[in-house]
Amino acid sequence: MEPVLMGFFRALIEREFMQYALVTGVLVGLLAPMIGSFVVIKRLSLIANALSHFSLGGLSIGLFFLNTLNLPIRDPLYIGIVFAVIGALLIEALRNYYRNYKEISMPIVISLGTALSALFISLAGGFNTEVYNYLFGSILTVSRNFVFIIIGATVVIMSLIFIFYKQIVIISFDEVHARLLGIRVNVFRVVSTVILGLVVGLSIETVGVLLVSSLMIIPVAAAMKVGRSFKSTLLIAVLFSEASVIFGLWLSFVFAFPSGATIVLFNILILVTIIGLKKFIFKRSLEEKQPETATE
Amino acid sequence: MRVDVSNLSFGYDYRTVLKNISFSLESGDFLVVVGNNGSGKSTLVKCILGLNHVPDDKIFLDGREINRFRDWLSVGYVPQKLDDFNYEFPITVNEVMQASKFSKVTEEEKLGVLDRVGILELQNENINTLSGGQLQRVFIARALMNKPRLLILDEPTVAVDKKNVDRFYRFINALNEEGVTIILISHHLESSNANYSHVMYLQEGQAKMTSAFDIEAEGDA
Repeated sequence: MEPVLMGFFRALIEREFMQYALVTGVLVGLLAPMIGSFVVIKRLSLIANALSHFSLGGLSIGLFFLNTLNLPIRDPLYIGIVFAVIGALLIEALRNYYRNYKEISMPIVISLGTALSALFISLAGGFNTEVYNYLFGSILTVSRNFVFIIIGATVVIMSLIFIFYKQIVIISFDEVHARLLGIRVNVFRVVSTVILGLVVGLSIETVGVLLVSSLMIIPVAAAMKVGRSFKSTLLIAVLFSEASVIFGLWLSFVFAFPSGATIVLFNILILVTIIGLKKFIFKRSLEEKQPETATE
Repeated sequence: MRVDVSNLSFGYDYRTVLKNISFSLESGDFLVVVGNNGSGKSTLVKCILGLNHVPDDKIFLDGREINRFRDWLSVGYVPQKLDDFNYEFPITVNEVMQASKFSKVTEEEKLGVLDRVGILELQNENINTLSGGQLQRVFIARALMNKPRLLILDEPTVAVDKKNVDRFYRFINALNEEGVTIILISHHLESSNANYSHVMYLQEGQAKMTSAFDIEAEGDA
């Protein structure tokens, strides 16, 4: 095992692409569950899925511009990120339009994104490695520019969360109370929607369109079963997410597994372990304690 | 806080819920609003809280027209239903309080509120482990976090057992004696031990207002 581990560390030190992959993975591993927590509280877990499908539409249009029209586009991923943000705003608009059937917004946006993808992937020359990378992630091929973008985005998004922590918590848990406290809920909603789109777009490079939502939701799903407070739950979610990114990256380096799939499967493994532990171990200790924990 | 409502009518789509409601409360008054289901009690509350948009010059808080009123931190509200809150995600009582604290409130004052409401020992508990009555008290404490001068409670004792109902009214009466204006929505006037100064009977959107003195005189006759 040791030489394998050493090989991973040597690659990290010697190879730029490995460093870019690690920085990108660690930052996405921080942003995705942070934003994902607020998404889960608002019961919008499917939104990341909808946005990633919509951004695939943007990626496909980017590929079409690049491959068929030969337009000077640096990277279709940026169009994908813009599309994720547009998709987020579209969902918000549809949620306002169908006030009593808000979830209708998701299949509409997913359908539009998927249809655009099918159309433009075909126009761009059909299925190829690039498309595969967008679907399942290609963290080992991130560019230097992208690393700078993700560092910038992380600084801005984490600062916003830090500055407006109270407001974000209240709006997530109880929007009516937030309005009563004079918080401008609509402004926060638009800003958080844009940020959500941005994080989904940025995460695509790590695990791909089809797996983005897992990076945002699964660590949170595991953490909320063990967290005792809001802050500890956020922290645990980030730890789970970082562990899966780093171990996933390592495993994919050693065994040449696809990185996105390995990261997500590691996430799932953590979730299953937590559920198992809760069900069999914590439950037993709770049963033993029961007589003294009776409350009013 | 002074509350003035003049000729307020309000409806949803084509249905009129409130018809020409007018009343005035001085600082330190205690109004109980009584009425059947669908009589417009909660709608009236939502209008006063600015959650329902009302035309100009219908509601004034401390003399300020409600659409231009900005001092919302001095208005506390305890909702009837607690289902606006997302429970399943872990958050402690203390974290709920901290997130609701927007005016200068010291740590001691915060603990004082928790103590008065009777949930001091629950401050580090995850709120999804609390009983209905305990949760209700968390929401009352949250409403008191920014030292409100007007407190609006919408059927606050629905989920609370008898012993805690008495305790609750002692606490609300004490707050009122300290000068906080109280508006309490209640299904039945008899079951409350509120030291109210005014009662409003709402029936099909129309209001009949009496002072506590009138009711006592009626009872004596």
